[in-house]
Amino acid sequence: MANVEQREFAGPEEIRAAKLLVVGAGGIGCELLKNLVLTGFRYIEVIDLDTIDVSNLNRQFLFRKQHVGKSKAVVARESVQALNPDAKIIAHHSSIFEKTYGRDFFKKFNVVLNALDNRAARNHVNRMCLNVDVPLVESGTAGYLGQVTVIKKGITECYECQPKATQKTYPGCTIRNTPSEPIHCIVWAKHLFNQLFGEEDPDQDVSPDTADPEAAGDAGQEALASDGVTGGVERSSTREWAKSCDWDPVKLFNKLFRDDIKYLLSMANLWQHRRPPTPLDWGNLPDSVPGSSTSAQDSDLLEDQRMWSAKMCGQMFGRSVNTLKERLKTKVAEDKEHGYLIWDKDDDPSLDFVTAAAGIRSHIFGIAQKTRFDVRSMAGNIIPAIATTNAVIAGLIVMELLKVLCGNYSKCKTVYLVRQPKSKKKLLVPCELVKPNPACPVCSEKHEVTVRLNCETTTVKTLEEKVLKDALTMVAPDVEIEDGKGTILISSEEGETEGNHGKFLKDFGIGHDSRLKCDDFFQDFEVVVNIMQSEDLERGVEFELIGNVAQLKAKMDAKAASGSTPRNGQPNGTAETTSANSDVIVDDEEDIEIEEEEVEEDEMEKDEEEGAGDKMLRKRKAENLEKDLGSKRPRVEPDQSDDDLIVL
Amino acid sequence: MLENKEIHISEDEAALYDRQIRLWGLDAQKRLRGSRILVIGMRGLGAEICKNVVLAGVKSVTLMDHTNVEKDDETSQFLVQRTDEGKNRAECSLDRTQQLNPMVHVYKDTESVAAKPDEFFHNFEVVCATCCTTQEMIRINNVCHSRGIKFFAGDVFGYYGYMFADLNDHEYLEEVHHVVSTGYGAKKQKIPDSKMAKRNSRFITLQDVLDFDWASTKGKMLMNKTPETYFISLVLLRFRSEQVLHNAQLTKEEKQKKVLGLKNTVMEEIGISDSIVSDKFVSYCMGELSPVCAILGGVLSQEIIKAVSAKDMPHNNFFFFDGVDGKGLVDCIGTYE
Ligand SMILES: [Zn+2]
Repeated sequence: MANVEQREFAGPEEIRAAKLLVVGAGGIGCELLKNLVLTGFRYIEVIDLDTIDVSNLNRQFLFRKQHVGKSKAVVARESVQALNPDAKIIAHHSSIFEKTYGRDFFKKFNVVLNALDNRAARNHVNRMCLNVDVPLVESGTAGYLGQVTVIKKGITECYECQPKATQKTYPGCTIRNTPSEPIHCIVWAKHLFNQLFGEEDPDQDVSPDTADPEAAGDAGQEALASDGVTGGVERSSTREWAKSCDWDPVKLFNKLFRDDIKYLLSMANLWQHRRPPTPLDWGNLPDSVPGSSTSAQDSDLLEDQRMWSAKMCGQMFGRSVNTLKERLKTKVAEDKEHGYLIWDKDDDPSLDFVTAAAGIRSHIFGIAQKTRFDVRSMAGNIIPAIATTNAVIAGLIVMELLKVLCGNYSKCKTVYLVRQPKSKKKLLVPCELVKPNPACPVCSEKHEVTVRLNCETTTVKTLEEKVLKDALTMVAPDVEIEDGKGTILISSEEGETEGNHGKFLKDFGIGHDSRLKCDDFFQDFEVVVNIMQSEDLERGVEFELIGNVAQLKAKMDAKAASGSTPRNGQPNGTAETTSANSDVIVDDEEDIEIEEEEVEEDEMEKDEEEGAGDKMLRKRKAENLEKDLGSKRPRVEPDQSDDDLIVL
Repeated sequence: MLENKEIHISEDEAALYDRQIRLWGLDAQKRLRGSRILVIGMRGLGAEICKNVVLAGVKSVTLMDHTNVEKDDETSQFLVQRTDEGKNRAECSLDRTQQLNPMVHVYKDTESVAAKPDEFFHNFEVVCATCCTTQEMIRINNVCHSRGIKFFAGDVFGYYGYMFADLNDHEYLEEVHHVVSTGYGAKKQKIPDSKMAKRNSRFITLQDVLDFDWASTKGKMLMNKTPETYFISLVLLRFRSEQVLHNAQLTKEEKQKKVLGLKNTVMEEIGISDSIVSDKFVSYCMGELSPVCAILGGVLSQEIIKAVSAKDMPHNNFFFFDGVDGKGLVDCIGTYE
């Protein structure tokens, strides 16, 4: 028996002496700061880049209406300081990615508490904490669901031990040729926004896709040759064409919603087993509201919840195009090269445009139309958030913190808040922490990942921006080729390797089985990237990241998605403004993915390594849960899908 | 079910409540907008509940407490100021509660529940009792039950906490998920869809819960499956009643000793074996721990929101939190026929 008894929770002395860092002063952060000060913590630093928005006020209770537009960190500090004037609370209105917050900054804390809303920042804090060996309490909420977990180097899994599912993307041909769900039309409309007014991206083409394998050898090709209709044949950029007609709404409308659709119809193979689309003409739009017989009285609804008729969509399309066109011209006049608009769910003309364009397209393809209210959620990727869930999770964070602070790691848990108890009456489901994954590219000794790409067509810039910075969330990588000569491919020093940007990887002798030593001095994160040469990546996919076998499995399983477009995580966390070229816009809300599997847990909260293993490897975090919960099975009852677990 | 035809949500409110309307819908928000809530007991848990329901956007919240702010409030009551020590808790909590949401009417009541006639409780859609004695809870619960007023009770004892709900005959809507088929032929697709289904849940009073016979065959069978926190809460509620009765100033050690003694008394009275509850809890049951208030207050407030919005299945009839082993359990106690 050990002489020194492990205490369960930190005592008043440890609490008073502890130095804490809270990363994020949003929904969870506000609740957490209150709990920490009340519990007696005397030294807290809080960092948040964001400013306060009116839609925060229903839950971020340290903020009031008069604070809208001000720094979350600063206002939260002021509000919570009043609870204990003796506490030292320091606010940083800044990004955690700033160079100021390096090793020395992280080192001074006893525990770091994440209250974040995006994966890029979570990855970064995870690495910094591993780096200086400071324990981290990680958390997240989505609607009624929440999760808290503890990360301690060498003892538990780190945030990146299990690969995360990539954001859902849709096959290009579904978006361009054969939409069948409302989201397909909304994604198309956002692409159209970028084609007309935003940053042009060849992956976001909105015209009919003649290379659709389903239409292979089809009339489409013949139509291309005979050129009976003009629409889809247009190979010059949509923007150039729009410019040439000065964004004339009628011309835009008739090309996009009449001629292009006629062209699609000529690809007869596509419509053998599908309802063929109906081209619409600007001059003859129906004024009836779809589904109006079943919807509630107008007076019962919010303005935004009213369904627009095709005619109304047409009017809104015209009106928003005219507004956006003028804005674009102003932007271009200011900055010829970077003068473009960025889609924003909170900007009225931007939202009107997408609602209208998606509505018209839904009408054409016979798909249920969505209201402006719903389009804002779907296009803006809003994750609903409420005060009560955040309060519960912030309480659970402190419970874990009190164990971490006295080194009681064996009692630390991952705790899930579920909607209804599934079994054993558990509304809060505690699970044993999982041991580190020996193959983890971040916390294991062996920092290696494999990337499948085509060295003939991948530029150094793509490698740096999309693979290293986006997918691997490095901030300022240095890359050396393990070619025996130590060729420097990318340097974080300005002006040293910019000349390499436009060159292809093959120009440096990089090919199959080449190894690239990538080092982020700031994160103190080193990883070897193994190159797997591949010429048959799916269209529009530039690379595929393969961390370990589990990741590969997850990848293969997510084949519904067209590719592995990684989340557009920019280091400053301003996902709203930087992800305009992605299908996925990350809202500034508690951002979490929802697990779709039901958990059937066992009384035994033991780590059953291979236990009920193979059944459910569909989603990577599900694997952890499986070990924790003993056994689990896929959802069988169709009416329980709300009782999901979340994954951070 | 509450009539909500006349309630209108303005565009300002829609902006403020946007993220929750997206979760529970406009109808639920309208029902919330029409609800008057009474929160009895303005200590740590009461403060958490007030915060959450005011943020959610109910019609009114009445803060009720006849006692004064103590030094201990510093560690859990965030609606009062440190300088408020010695002043009435409800009075001192008023300003900060109101600031949370100017669209909600916030009232104070500095009288004790004992001074209130039964009719007083008729003015609310929801009554939530914290820091009350068992006798007070039973009385208020019975008044509410007879009028169809939703009744909640809850307390935090150190690392432990419980919530009780009596919603009487509760009708609610629940989203039912199913799949619909679209398209035809080989391209037929199944798309998830949802609709609202009417459901019903029947609750019993606290008196009925306490009358449950643990010595019966059924009781003996359920004893081991019932969360320990239920029995711990009974002991601590008894301790509270005794404290009110004798108003003794005890040291921490004296309190713990007293609680241990009461454990044996209570266990014997209700006819359950002493070994069901380990003595360990006495070291963890004093004061109100802020994170425990947050957890319990979050769960309880969400139950209030569900109850008044008549949306989603309520937890029938207890939630227990045990911070020592990290468990949060829902259980139905006293309705085993
Ligand atoms: Zn790891």
